[in-house]
Amino acid sequence: MKKEEQELRDLPRSNKVTRIEMEDEDLAAAMQREREELERTWARPTGLRGWFSDTDHKAIAKRYIVTAFVFFVLGGLEAALMRIQLSRPENHFLSPDRYNQLFTVHGSTMMFLFAVPIMTAMGIYFVPLMVGARDVAFPRLNLYGYYTYLIGGILLYVGLFSNTGPDAGWFAYVPLSGPAFTPGKRSDIWAQMITFTELSSLVGAVIVIGTAFKMRAPGMSLNRLPLFVWAQVVTSFMIIFAMPAVMLASSFLASDRLIDTHFFNPAEGGDAILYQHLFWFFGHPEVYIIFIPALGFISPIIVTFARRKIFGYVALVLSLISTGFIGFGLWVHHMFATPIPQMGQSFFTAASMMIAIPSGVQIFCWIATLWGSKLNLKTPLLFVLGFFAIFVLGGLTGLMLASVPLDLQIHDTFFVVAHLHYVLIGGSVFPLFGAFYYWFPKWTGRMLSERAGHWNFWLMFIGFNLVFFPMHKLGLNGMPRRVYTYLPETGWGTLNLIASIGAFVLAAGVLVFIINAVWAYRAGVVAGDNPWGADSLEWSVSSPPPNYNFHNIPVVQGRYPIWQATADAPVVRGLSTKKRETLVTSVLDAQPELRFEIPGPSILPSLLSLATGVAFIAGIFTPWAFLVGAILAGIVLTCWFFGDPNYENKIARESGEKSEKVSPRGGLQPKEV
Amino acid sequence: MSTRAVIDISELPHHEFDTYDPVWWGNNLLLAIETSMFAILIATYFYLRQNFELWPPPVAQLTATLRPLPQLGYGTAVTILLVFSCAPMVLTDKGARRGSRFVCQIGLIICILCALAATILRGFEFSAVYFRWDSNAYGSVVWFMLGMHMMHLLILTTESVLLTIWIFTREFDMKHRVDIVTVAVYWYWVTAIWIVLYAIIYFTPRLG
Repeated sequence: MKKEEQELRDLPRSNKVTRIEMEDEDLAAAMQREREELERTWARPTGLRGWFSDTDHKAIAKRYIVTAFVFFVLGGLEAALMRIQLSRPENHFLSPDRYNQLFTVHGSTMMFLFAVPIMTAMGIYFVPLMVGARDVAFPRLNLYGYYTYLIGGILLYVGLFSNTGPDAGWFAYVPLSGPAFTPGKRSDIWAQMITFTELSSLVGAVIVIGTAFKMRAPGMSLNRLPLFVWAQVVTSFMIIFAMPAVMLASSFLASDRLIDTHFFNPAEGGDAILYQHLFWFFGHPEVYIIFIPALGFISPIIVTFARRKIFGYVALVLSLISTGFIGFGLWVHHMFATPIPQMGQSFFTAASMMIAIPSGVQIFCWIATLWGSKLNLKTPLLFVLGFFAIFVLGGLTGLMLASVPLDLQIHDTFFVVAHLHYVLIGGSVFPLFGAFYYWFPKWTGRMLSERAGHWNFWLMFIGFNLVFFPMHKLGLNGMPRRVYTYLPETGWGTLNLIASIGAFVLAAGVLVFIINAVWAYRAGVVAGDNPWGADSLEWSVSSPPPNYNFHNIPVVQGRYPIWQATADAPVVRGLSTKKRETLVTSVLDAQPELRFEIPGPSILPSLLSLATGVAFIAGIFTPWAFLVGAILAGIVLTCWFFGDPNYENKIARESGEKSEKVSPRGGLQPKEV
Repeated sequence: MSTRAVIDISELPHHEFDTYDPVWWGNNLLLAIETSMFAILIATYFYLRQNFELWPPPVAQLTATLRPLPQLGYGTAVTILLVFSCAPMVLTDKGARRGSRFVCQIGLIICILCALAATILRGFEFSAVYFRWDSNAYGSVVWFMLGMHMMHLLILTTESVLLTIWIFTREFDMKHRVDIVTVAVYWYWVTAIWIVLYAIIYFTPRLG
């Protein structure tokens, strides 16, 4: 007992700096040897096995990003089909049933299969690199999250292509989506897709928080955490408290449909409005779950291209956190058209207006950063400026919708469609494209073309406003959402035609991006480590980063680690080169605590997602599937528990046995200063 | 000759209890997710109650109208078992910190026996509710609450069984001692959540 307590107290509480002194050649040789060992230890499995067992956070994040982008394109194609249908009155391009499936799958895809996963993926890629870790906190869980998400996405599209696409709207309100009005399997597919994607988001959130809290480089105390990481942390906490609501909603819906429970059946005491509460208790924070990571892209882009420190770091962090809190107090404003007590309406109106305050604070901080600086007007910054224009417009219509009388007038009209696209595309997709241009060099080692980037931006910006600005007017003129066609006498034809033309301009912008990305991946200008002269740690390693991220974990000396690093900045020594080790530090001050061993590649997480897939997909047809799935998952988890954690990469272990015994310091003996 | 400033961490341990270890964070964040799930489930329970004049709804029988309050027997037994099982779990928790393999072995076995007994009693508890999941919204939400908690009970038991097998057959290493301490947190949480659910399911209807 005594000894344990003693050991606990002896954990280093201060970053004691020592020095190593060596001949130049010896130092270079030792470093080279270490790098080779690290390469072997962190080697990634290749081939087919690699697809299902690689736990490298960068590989998983890249797969997430590519998958989510494919879903973005699919969702965009669905939108294009809808715009063709709506381009003139009484069009017969799509049948009403097909149209219902398309708008439902479009919304579900964009929210659940594109926006949330791609934001999580950005975090999974960059949080470890920005905080100076060698991988995420739970790499195997990460792999599980990806395949669970992929299975959910494929399920939705198998449904759509087999004419079983969900057709009750992306929020699948009961009673329409319930057993009485949607027989067949359409709503079940929606409900299970939700379960899959939420599971993967929850897993991602735990990983991001674990990594950001426990794996930061020494010196990166919380008040030096990059704003990108702050945004990811706030988002992850929102996911943790919001997503369970929609998982319950979708589980209740699925069980109402499958095993005749009565959660939403008024005849047996159930309640349809309960569904709306559960859905929007998730659904409104969801908007911020998509939006806050995008705010995290904007800050580093502005800092880099304004070439100065951010104005109001503390104000920005506090704004992010307060947005996270207030975001939970808004959900009822989606339900003003339901019988809500007037007191409740007032409360939610007030909260909806209050959230403009932190958003405003952030925008002013960014403007203050940009003001008077010598702007380096590259594509990423262009997208951020586009964000300002579009998002502010979306925010203003948001304030209008927060007011109950106005909301009742334009509820379920195209005004809402215009508003939500201004907020989500302006607030999220524009910064995301900026982020693509900004970080593409880090992912691939090559630069995207600036010229094509400007084309991309202007096509998207003009196209976007052409599609969605007329929708404000259409909504005020009374055009309802989710109608597959309208009569010529309504006079909505011209504005709809403009919107449809805009859709194709917008699509052309996305196409330019795809061509640019494919071209740059093959033949773009080689980027180097830090092509933009940026400040955060991911730019201190090669592009693309090595499998182990950092050879020596850096010691951070300020909020802008690269800009503020002194010539003789200390580095962390003593992590094994033969095991997958990373440094674990304390939550507040990032004092070194543990040499934490990270599990290596494994096929088991993929098998576990397969077991989850069996449970939830077969669960559409029979409740027994859950028992089978649970047993399968139990078997996989038992293998996981007893299996080889593969901490020590086999190749490295063999070579290590042959070579002479290497001290944990890698042969470099430090001595006290 | 060149010199380089370093922070030497080669003496740091690989594992440490509680907030030091990322596993502790992972576990507690997952528990935060499940806590919000149960919080929303409880909100659902009270939301649905608004739709009923009598909660649970009366059952018309041949002889008389019965107010079917859930029977206290099995639920109370589950509560007593779970609360009791926290005692050996506290000892196991301390044993793991101290490095006493024997205490952990005995403690975990007692805990697992308690959890298994609680799971079996839970099976009877469903019938003590008087309604099936498909009878009405009351039955649906109560079964869901009992079921979700039972799921956690089963996961917890499975996890403990695996850990027990490990410490009987393999090393009593630091990694698995940290795991035991983490499972203890989960154990206390399952008990605490159950006390709340027990009070809600069995006593709020009795209060009126």
